[in-house]
Amino acid sequence: MLGVMVDVSDAETTSTANATFRELSTLQSFAKKLLESGTVKMVIGYSQGYTSDRAMPAFITDPEKASSLIFDKRCFHNLTMYLKTAEIKCAGKIAIVVKGCDAKALNVLLLENQIKRENLVILGLVCIGVGDPTLEKCRICNVNTPPIYDELFGKPVPNKEWTSATFTRVKELEGKSQKELWEFWVNEFNRCIKCYACREVCPICTCTRCITDKNQPQWVPTSPHSMGNFHWNLTRAFHLAGRCIGCDECERSCPADIPLSLVNWKLIKQVFEKYGFIAGMSPDDLPPMSTYVEGEEEEFIK
Amino acid sequence: MARIGVFICHCGENIARTVDVVSVTEVARTWPGVVYAEDYRFCCSDPGQSIIRDAIKEHNLTGLVISACSPKMHEKTFRNLAKASGMNPYLCECSNIREQCSWVHHDKEVGTEKAIDLVRMMVEKVRMNHPLEPIEAPVTKRVLVVGAGIAGIQASLDLAEAGLEVVLVERNPSIGGHMAQLSETFPTLDCSMCILSPKMSAVKEHPDIKLLTYSEVEKVEGFIGNYTVSIRKKPRYVIEDLCVGCNECVTHCVFKKPKFPDEFNEGLGKRKPVYIPFPQATPQGAFIDPETCLQLTTGKCKQTCVTACPKDCIDFEMVEEIEEVEVGAIILATGFGTYKPELLPQYGYGKLDNVYTSLQMERMLSSSGPTEGEILLKDGTAPKTVGIIHCAGSRDENANIWCSKVCCMYSLKLAHLIQEFSEAQVFNFYIDIRAAGKGYEEFYLKVIEENVMVLRGRPALIEYEEQGNNGKGNLLVHTEDTISGTKLVVPVDMVVLSLGFEPDKDAVQLAKTFNISRSPEGFFMERHVKLAPVATTTDGVYIVGGCQGPKDIPETVAQASAAAASVLGILSKDKLIREPTVARVNELNCIGCFQCEKVCPYSAIEHKEIRDHDGNLIREVALVNDSLCHGCGPCAAICPSKCIDVDGITEEQIYSQLAVL
Repeated sequence: MLGVMVDVSDAETTSTANATFRELSTLQSFAKKLLESGTVKMVIGYSQGYTSDRAMPAFITDPEKASSLIFDKRCFHNLTMYLKTAEIKCAGKIAIVVKGCDAKALNVLLLENQIKRENLVILGLVCIGVGDPTLEKCRICNVNTPPIYDELFGKPVPNKEWTSATFTRVKELEGKSQKELWEFWVNEFNRCIKCYACREVCPICTCTRCITDKNQPQWVPTSPHSMGNFHWNLTRAFHLAGRCIGCDECERSCPADIPLSLVNWKLIKQVFEKYGFIAGMSPDDLPPMSTYVEGEEEEFIK
Repeated sequence: MARIGVFICHCGENIARTVDVVSVTEVARTWPGVVYAEDYRFCCSDPGQSIIRDAIKEHNLTGLVISACSPKMHEKTFRNLAKASGMNPYLCECSNIREQCSWVHHDKEVGTEKAIDLVRMMVEKVRMNHPLEPIEAPVTKRVLVVGAGIAGIQASLDLAEAGLEVVLVERNPSIGGHMAQLSETFPTLDCSMCILSPKMSAVKEHPDIKLLTYSEVEKVEGFIGNYTVSIRKKPRYVIEDLCVGCNECVTHCVFKKPKFPDEFNEGLGKRKPVYIPFPQATPQGAFIDPETCLQLTTGKCKQTCVTACPKDCIDFEMVEEIEEVEVGAIILATGFGTYKPELLPQYGYGKLDNVYTSLQMERMLSSSGPTEGEILLKDGTAPKTVGIIHCAGSRDENANIWCSKVCCMYSLKLAHLIQEFSEAQVFNFYIDIRAAGKGYEEFYLKVIEENVMVLRGRPALIEYEEQGNNGKGNLLVHTEDTISGTKLVVPVDMVVLSLGFEPDKDAVQLAKTFNISRSPEGFFMERHVKLAPVATTTDGVYIVGGCQGPKDIPETVAQASAAAASVLGILSKDKLIREPTVARVNELNCIGCFQCEKVCPYSAIEHKEIRDHDGNLIREVALVNDSLCHGCGPCAAICPSKCIDVDGITEEQIYSQLAVL
């Protein structure tokens, strides 16, 4: 099934809407068939939210409800985060709707043994950007076509190459001095209330018992004071090094508006420049932070 | 409540000079849980140990901190003492206030302050130490020896004589290694083959040695006492057990004349695709080289060898086989390479006629060699003068920096042999003569008396005497006599380059396969350069001979026997006792991301399946194989949810150690 594409070459496309009417109906009928035939127990996708400006996640088990699936610029959520929940984990085989950026999370989860490929039907959507105005991550997107899917909806767009220039947003930070950086982050992290929304929404924060919840010993202070906030946010960043796929969901869900994606993208950039590695591009790539390759630079050993 | 005893060692003046041991002891007495603290001049001495023993009993101690030298030095001593005094040995810890404190500080105040911190941290750790019991692992009483040169042969014979089964693997069609190529051996000048071939046939005949030639080790799994090794047996295309080495196939090969460079003769002679590597080859049978055989490369050949063979032992259908063997220990005797003479363009090897390598000269001098022992120039005449250039590629910052140890001696030996078997005058160009060894200096003096010329200085250039004369004419060696300080040009008919030892071309791959380290220059690395010279950092894997570094035959044989003795020490027991300081996984919190598996250098992480009552798989978690785990800790460090801990050095212990600072 892998690599089968739906021919939509003659379908009308506009620059604002992602899926045309025809692609959407293909997705809906495909989802319906999956449920009807019993191939999957559930389809995770997007549906109309409670207000007209919002989309919301849909967990569809009834084939008749497959027609409620939507896809447009309101569908910025990364649905792969639901795969780490206990309910979905024991749901058996499911289908999931993913954009290019979301699909990268699937590759990381596969690489880290968190999901089973045979328990998953990946419904890939060609996405040219979501959000109004278009999200920052979409402006620099190099994965309009998902790097992994079983069924692709939409006309594939050739993905751009990754270069150092891709990481535009990090540039504003790189111009700062060490002191300015320190002040900037003290100021930003000071607002953290330790609600851990960033952790909960992250598709690859897969630990069932987070290190912050460990209290024997208590490595990460629980209180939202400066030190505790730095502890948490830096630990989170380090645990994502070489793993973060840059979906920016942490930043979107942060109630204190901390620019968390700046931390993430800085790390993505560093890992890319050091190892030429972008997390989530393939389920077989060796993760650089836990792999040693002979001949690798070791300039940190003095 | 913890009852900890603290002992501060003076180590003579080693520690006491820069650490005020008395005040460290006084401060230690004030810490909660410390019921006894004492300082002593030498804690490791007999009186020192009896003070500790008495204190353990008298104060009913539940923990022991010895603040002295590195635990590498005396941890075992003090743990044994604890055990003998009725305390679990893993309740005793050494805090290092010598190497990590007194030896690196000059200021006594600073040193004392740091010592107090170090001791305090160890007291906190010991407070949380738990009694641990040693882990037992089974033992397979069979040994793998890789490489059948003199090192592998000697080790195999020693082990087999002691009653162990040996699997000896050799990548070439015959055993013998470099030693089989040598003419005579210094300093006694016995014929190399005369002393080696009895050992070669002893290996072949020994009922407990399984010899696998033309084979290579593919994969190694397991751990000390329990290795599983996959060996790739390449096809010889001649049935080894049937062939008697009658040579009929060679005579009747469709190639009427030998055409291909003979590897054993270092390219000096030619061989056919079917050949017997050398007269004393073991196993003695013929062998077909798949790269040059017409049948095997093109599939079109009259196969005259098959019809000529009186015993029907040629089989072109033979295929590669993988054989798995279980062994308890491994000895690597994979040998060395020699410096590539092409990398020394100034000496013209390969471009100028009559420039040979030292191994080529060995073959030329050998009575079974391509010239049957005669020293001949390319035009078939005998040379009148021969120059031997020592240290070609050695002791040279542009080539290999190390001294290859044996070149001085073999160069003098070659000089002696050349002068004995020909009329030629020999010049030895040397930097220093290193003749350290029993009878070596005497040999040097004897060769000097034989009128061999020795000139101190590294030659800069070798060229033809008459430029552009199509390679005719004498060779000129441009050099300097550093003793008289004069530049010299020495005309010679023949040049021998004394090439040094290098790591074998396969050393990188072998190190990976056997999970051992290499020293900076690329030879296999011993566990301790002085005190564990044949062991490696992988338990149960030993290194002997040229693969560990340049050495001569006596030293190689001594190492081989040393490794055999070490292996016997392990395999004489029915169970192996291992340190219980191994990693443990908290299965409840493990999410099975197996990053620990990726970073484990000992392949100790296994997958454990957690199933419900109906046998349905719920999830997979990491499981530590106690027999493989060394307690090194990268798994604990990389685990994102911190659900791996190492017994004896748990996260909580590290945390509390940091907390008291």
